Amino acid sequence: MKTAPRIAITGCGAVCGAGLTVEAIWDAIVSGRSAIRPIQSWDASRWPARMAAEVVGVDNRTLVEDRKLHKTISRTDLFGLYAAGSAIQASGITAYRETLSAEAVAHFNDRCGVFAGSGGGNYRSNYEFFPLLTAANGDLQKFGRELGETVNPMWLLRILPNNVLCHVGIRHGFKGTNACITNQCMGGIMAVAEAAAALRAGEADRAVAVGHDTPFEPETLFYYHRLGLMSPDTVRPFDRGRSGTVFGEGAAAVTLEGMADAQGRQATIWGEFLGSGCTTEATGIVDLRGDGDGLSRAIQLALGDAGISTAEVGLIVAHGNGTLGSDVSEARAIRRVFGDDLPPVTAFKWAVGHLIAASGVLDLVLALMALKQGVVPGIATLNSLDPEIAPFTVAHTAQPPRSDIALILCRGFGGMNVAVLIRGTSPAATA
Amino acid sequence: MSPRRRVAITGIGLVTPVGNDAPTTWANLLAGRSGVAHIRGFDASGFPSRIGGEVKDFDATAMIPDRKLLKFASRANRFALAAAEEALRDAGIRPAPATGHRWGFSAGAGMMGMTFDEVELVHTYCGTNGEFNPDGFLDNHFPADPVAFCRSQTNSGLAVLTRHFGIQGYATAVHTACASGGQALGTALKVMRRRQADFVLAGGYDSMLNPIGLSAFCLLGALSTDNETPERASRPFDATRNGFVLAEGAGFLVLEDWEAARNRGAHIYAELAGDGNSLSSYRITDSHPSGDGPIQAMRQALADAGLKPEDVDYVNAHGTSTLMNDRSECAALRAVMGSHIEKLAVSSTKSCMGHLIAAAGAVEAAVCALAIRDGIAPVSANHVRPDPDCNVNLVREQSKPMPIRAALSNSLGFGGSNSSLAFRHPEAVVNP
Repeated sequence: MKTAPRIAITGCGAVCGAGLTVEAIWDAIVSGRSAIRPIQSWDASRWPARMAAEVVGVDNRTLVEDRKLHKTISRTDLFGLYAAGSAIQASGITAYRETLSAEAVAHFNDRCGVFAGSGGGNYRSNYEFFPLLTAANGDLQKFGRELGETVNPMWLLRILPNNVLCHVGIRHGFKGTNACITNQCMGGIMAVAEAAAALRAGEADRAVAVGHDTPFEPETLFYYHRLGLMSPDTVRPFDRGRSGTVFGEGAAAVTLEGMADAQGRQATIWGEFLGSGCTTEATGIVDLRGDGDGLSRAIQLALGDAGISTAEVGLIVAHGNGTLGSDVSEARAIRRVFGDDLPPVTAFKWAVGHLIAASGVLDLVLALMALKQGVVPGIATLNSLDPEIAPFTVAHTAQPPRSDIALILCRGFGGMNVAVLIRGTSPAATA
Repeated sequence: MSPRRRVAITGIGLVTPVGNDAPTTWANLLAGRSGVAHIRGFDASGFPSRIGGEVKDFDATAMIPDRKLLKFASRANRFALAAAEEALRDAGIRPAPATGHRWGFSAGAGMMGMTFDEVELVHTYCGTNGEFNPDGFLDNHFPADPVAFCRSQTNSGLAVLTRHFGIQGYATAVHTACASGGQALGTALKVMRRRQADFVLAGGYDSMLNPIGLSAFCLLGALSTDNETPERASRPFDATRNGFVLAEGAGFLVLEDWEAARNRGAHIYAELAGDGNSLSSYRITDSHPSGDGPIQAMRQALADAGLKPEDVDYVNAHGTSTLMNDRSECAALRAVMGSHIEKLAVSSTKSCMGHLIAAAGAVEAAVCALAIRDGIAPVSANHVRPDPDCNVNLVREQSKPMPIRAALSNSLGFGGSNSSLAFRHPEAVVNP
């Protein structure tokens, strides 16, 4: 019986407040530059939590050239299409497709999957009904009668959570197995895990996985602040002075294919997907367990899936969202699995903010960079480790990874936890 | 690698426009009774389409006597809780503290978070002049309701259900418009085969029957405007069809390992035998006239289940009653089934229920399992004038008793995600 094929990562793409390429975002992080600053997209000067890692000064046409599309999809979709397009371009799979016969192209497209993790949570789109609500003045009959004169007839299409999935398919011609995961913070990272699972099971030969989100609209920010989750200034993962999280926006994507196929077409291999684990703590919408039970189970499942031991893990990219409850339970979960033998741990939200549905896949792409460069970046906002978390192998300054394997952790509403293991292509691999 | 795991359906729960539980829903579908009527939940009298498939006289506390939990559940999530509870009771097994980590959850969840009341509230404080002013939220009198915000989160249904039932394993929520429920079942099947869970509570839930949801589809011109004859408005494959009918509800199935189910003496409705999943990559709202996209999904589902076209006796079509979907789906069926199309019974139960959007695929998967159990293909109601472009063998006028060895359920979404699920009769399962 044949064993599951190895899964290569052959392309990456990302956009967030820290840059428009994976390399630019990486440079910002290793230079200690945070993209978190006061919100510019609306006047938030009176708001208690008014910081975000916004994508500023980027023309929509830089993200997606087709201007017709700008009217029919949302900002989050532009980010998703951009990152997915970058990952596809970097992988060279569409250039490879051009070398195939027409029949082989049809087969290629039918065997190329698309997996998206979408933020949803679109509150602002509902405000497009405000002029109609004002005109109707509480009269629903009038609301119904005047609907067609006031609201954009294509309103629904712009808010479809699966827009990136469909438009990646349409733009690139991919027609294979697919999913759009709307599991809040888990969306992007689960898109990667599901894409890899589809390749392993032989349901597709290649796949692009993308997570995208624009979480910091006013209503979301207002209620996250009410729930005690937002920092007034910045994200300080694992620091004793941490005060909550800060939103970011953007997208990240990877292209996956069978290792043999990737090697066969001499693709640049960024890394290898090794395994994943997914759990929920069954704690409801915002609560989480203090002991990190769900996260430690997710890590153990990922290790089992990858068939590796804790000692082989070279670095951990923690979720590290800077909230009081999540960071402490995350550190407990990591220690419970790794004991005293902890690899270097880092987190990136201090630089890029919390991209919710895009956060996990952005962390994964940056973990590949960390392995490639042989650097576990420091957490620039970490000044004094929370004594409740100590001892813990996070640092203000850079550390070397202890192998070419990274563990990426992602947590979210619903008591959700996902852990993913990847192998990189570090020149300094296996210390 | 161990041999591929066989997956049994052992529990079903439904909350639909034709019944607030599975037996009532099934009886009404077999009788061809419509659940479509004038919308009662709000004043829809000014809308171009004023009809819908509402869930009627629903009381969540009857199934879930936990008022605190229900505060955190939206209307759709309450349907989900009730349907899931019914499915677990039906299966005779549920997560326990020692087994919760081996239970998974996979659901098609709707796209609408905010209720109309919440939109009106934000309008009152942040937009009475028609323009959105964010600082309205900072008004001291703004009646902030963090519980309502929690209800509006994309995975709030997942959060509420996993908490209530104690599910601690793999959990996911998906949304591919009208294909969501089917894709959630397909994901659940894969999670079982990958052995990431030994049981999965899988289904879908949605409610867009509110002024904004109704507006969204009215604006696209996708809904039937047969406001004077609501019970006949949804008429898939009929030559006079003129759009779909928006509906709401939930469906859940309990999936478990075939051998384990047999060993504990569970009743097995059917095997969830195969999943096919494709993208049309054509246009956002249009289906390819040739059936390209759904063709690949159906072929994959058959291949995945180890079925040939001639093994399939019944197809529960997506059959929305829109001009384009029905034509494209029939073209796909003809392409996949070849000459077997003459012998194959096809129906769309949307003819009675309307379109449950993200819940549709899950409810219709349950319909396939019930059809297999009872050996009866439910009627495709309201089919009077055949459309030559929809030339399939519809179950017309009344439900048709017939042995069903295998069935397919199609769910084809806006944006071009296509899901096809294959089901096999328990007695047609040949054990290795």
